[in-house]
Amino acid sequence: MPIQILQGTLDLMILRTLATMGPQHAYGIASRLQQVSEDALNLNQGTIYPALVRIEQRGWTRGSWSKTENGREAKYYAITRAGLKALEEETERWRQMSGVVEKLLAEEQ
Amino acid sequence: MAHLRRIVAKLRNLAANKRAEEELAREVSSHLTLLADEFESRGMAPEEARRAARRAYGGVEQVKQSHRDERSVLWMEQTIQDLRYGLRTLSKSPGFTVTAVLTLGLGIGACTAIFSLLNAVLIRSLPYGDPSRLVYLFTPNRQFKLPDEVFGPAYADLYDLKRASHSFEDMTAFGQSVFNLASPGVAERVSAARVDGDFFQTFQSTPELGREISADDNQLGHEKVAVISHALWQSMFGSTADVLHRSLLLDGKSYQIIGVMPQGFEYPHSTDLAYGESQYKTTQVWIPLALTPQQTSDRDNSSGNAVARLKPGVSVAQAQAEMAAMMVRLDKLHQMKGWGALIKNFVDSTVGHVRSLLWLLLGAVAIVLLIASGNAANLLLARAAGRVRELGVRVALGAGRSRIVRQLITESLLIGLAAGAIGILFAYLFLGILPLFNPGNIPRLNEASLDMRVLLFTIAVSLLTSMLTGVLPALAVSRINLTDFLAATGSRSVASAHTRVQSALIVVESALVMVLLASAGLLIRSYVNVESVDTGFSQSTVTVNIGADPRYSHPQAVEFFRSLFQRLQALPGVETVGAVSSLPLSNSEDLRMFSVDGYPNQISQLAEARWVTPNYFSAMKIPLVAGRLFTADEKLASHTIIINQSFARRYFAGRNPIGGRVSRQDDHTQWSSVIGVIGDVRNTSLEEPAEPQIYEPDMEFGGGYIAIRSSLPAKSLASSVHTILHSLDPNLAAGDIQTMRDLESEASARRRFQTSLLSVFAGIALFLALVGLYGLMAYSVSRRTREVGIRMALGAERGDVLLLVLKKAALLLALGLVSGLVASWFATRAMQAFLFGVGRHDPITTLAVCALLALSGLLAAIIPARRAASMDPMQALRTE
Repeated sequence: MPIQILQGTLDLMILRTLATMGPQHAYGIASRLQQVSEDALNLNQGTIYPALVRIEQRGWTRGSWSKTENGREAKYYAITRAGLKALEEETERWRQMSGVVEKLLAEEQ
Repeated sequence: MAHLRRIVAKLRNLAANKRAEEELAREVSSHLTLLADEFESRGMAPEEARRAARRAYGGVEQVKQSHRDERSVLWMEQTIQDLRYGLRTLSKSPGFTVTAVLTLGLGIGACTAIFSLLNAVLIRSLPYGDPSRLVYLFTPNRQFKLPDEVFGPAYADLYDLKRASHSFEDMTAFGQSVFNLASPGVAERVSAARVDGDFFQTFQSTPELGREISADDNQLGHEKVAVISHALWQSMFGSTADVLHRSLLLDGKSYQIIGVMPQGFEYPHSTDLAYGESQYKTTQVWIPLALTPQQTSDRDNSSGNAVARLKPGVSVAQAQAEMAAMMVRLDKLHQMKGWGALIKNFVDSTVGHVRSLLWLLLGAVAIVLLIASGNAANLLLARAAGRVRELGVRVALGAGRSRIVRQLITESLLIGLAAGAIGILFAYLFLGILPLFNPGNIPRLNEASLDMRVLLFTIAVSLLTSMLTGVLPALAVSRINLTDFLAATGSRSVASAHTRVQSALIVVESALVMVLLASAGLLIRSYVNVESVDTGFSQSTVTVNIGADPRYSHPQAVEFFRSLFQRLQALPGVETVGAVSSLPLSNSEDLRMFSVDGYPNQISQLAEARWVTPNYFSAMKIPLVAGRLFTADEKLASHTIIINQSFARRYFAGRNPIGGRVSRQDDHTQWSSVIGVIGDVRNTSLEEPAEPQIYEPDMEFGGGYIAIRSSLPAKSLASSVHTILHSLDPNLAAGDIQTMRDLESEASARRRFQTSLLSVFAGIALFLALVGLYGLMAYSVSRRTREVGIRMALGAERGDVLLLVLKKAALLLALGLVSGLVASWFATRAMQAFLFGVGRHDPITTLAVCALLALSGLLAAIIPARRAASMDPMQALRTE
């Protein structure tokens, strides 16, 4: 069954993707997310756009246009220093959060 | 929230959103292409691949919309953040905020107040339909060398023009009369207009009650009807609806009231017609002109006033050309030739004479506003320098430069808007006291109010000043760069650059103040000159305007005034009672063409003619210079006249005027001999020298101005006059009872108005500039605490420190003075028309203004200088 995305987690996933893979276009990011989730994350590729504009406006990424290896033009997003810092914080927050949830669930059993 | 979001998103779309939208579309299409490429590489046909790509992508429009929402949400969040942050920082330094807001508020308030005047007088439309199409018609005759506006068209010419011309939609003729309006218990003098059947139609004004005066009312025998003003309806009839069944008693004759004009229609006002009935400010009654057949076919008498409405699309020049061509034809029908055509724009004639004054005032308040903005900018700069550290940290933490500039602009916008609100308050107060200044000859001055247009103006001015004050500090701060900031001296170098800008602002402010002070100084000197003009008559003489009405035959009227004079003369305290056909400074005039025996006479020589009773000169205390005055038994048949000094100087140069002979120009058979010369009086205005005058004896006074010299207070004399008149005839009214001092004061009211306003503005400007200078000196002293400490530790005396600070202030002031002198040299050109008896480069004014600015500037600087001098060196060294 496809899972729903938790509020805010998409930003984290995109930042992580960019930090790992370097500058990427929206298609690249979306494909990567699908690939990693082994299609469990059933999202339309367009779904990531609001998250993309959000993190760009916060200054976490910077966009620029260039060519793909096949010669197509695409907007590439690169993570900024502020973005890396945010990624760190968001990751920490996620870890704490998921730790708490995990612990709770374990106790219930 | 979703609503608000959509609204904001829309606003954003209106603004600079086009680029973002284009980029989004480009990105989406690139994304789809990449997806399609992928599907194709997996073996799909191109068409199928495109469809699959769209499926995988999801709804394109939905994505775009959510993208837009996200963008606008962020924009809004940031704005709210800026506002919150701005409010917090401003409330953290209340001293700064209050000073900045009050300074700017004062400037904006002054601007708003003067703009509301300008709005009421010049911009707000006159209540006559489309007033831009209204024109005055004149038929000037150049042979007379009189102002063109003296010549209204003769009725026959006017009605011929009306029939044959194509430029005009409507045309009307009207005259003015002053009547005794009697109602039970009181009688008053009112100004009335006698109008033809097209008057109200031409002005596109209709009564709020009843009907207007029609062509039928102008038929002889039907003319006893009247339309009254809203004000008269209120004061005399208590606004009752049955006013249409009532009648008015004008000069003892009954007129049926047929209509009431709405508030605001009181045309003609005394300011409307250059040569109209000027002692009454507004018109309260309109009655039919009711011309006789002789009058209608009269070409030889200029008949009064003519107003026409141009057809849409017809220019004044076109109408002028048509009328000129027609007058060439009509001129041939005249006995005396030379009648031309002149069309003047109605609105210009009405308000043209105050336009330059209002622009001058607006210019003055604009300078005040500039100075206020300069001060606010200085405050912001000083604060920005103090905030270099805070802002530097924010930059280091990744805040974009644009974000910081935006933050600073938001703060100055907050200050500007608060100042705008304060300014509206100031303007409101100002408009409250404005009627005290009203000179009475600026049309519609009392209608000045804070309407929508004024409020929009205030908002625009507030935004503009916010930008003006915010942009300098924002620029300065945006130049902060990280390396500078991180280097230990960073904040110092930024600060010293700031101080240079601040000093430059102070220099500019002082220069602007110089201009205002010099202008105000020139006006004050002019006013003093006007006030010290010798008018030539006694100021305490009380005058009153009384006319007999048609119930009286001429002998009856003469008898009536004889007994009135006797009763007045018998009042205890009354010294002399005299009478005259028209008073000095009352704007009524009677010009006469004449010939002088033994003088090379010219056709166009004119003198002001007066009929006076023998006691007039004594009542007015006009001195006899040579010869004798009229006596009580002066014989009309002996044809004696008295002339004034100007007449004697011009026409009897080098000979004895007494016994000289003067005749009417067209009639040399009857010569009058000069028996006396009296002193010159100011007649047309206080500022114009006396014209030649001829006085003839009036042994049968039948109405006009009565002049009473007495030791009684003016008020009690006035009430005695009313009582006596009422006991003689309750239907006659005593109009404009006033002293000659009142008339004089009315004549200088305009000057008082402009002088006091400009002086107040100059005062405000000086105050603001001093506050600015004080602020800058205090600031620089506080920044140089350490330096001062070192100097003192090295042996500098307190006096040296004092001088150090004062020297800097003196330098700024000197620079300001010099540039101010240069600026005033040119700027006072705008003042030329407003000056009297003083040149625009008057050295005394200039010196006084320089001294005032220099002294008050140094005084403002001495407080911070003393603070610097009284510093404890040890403590000073420890700061920072």
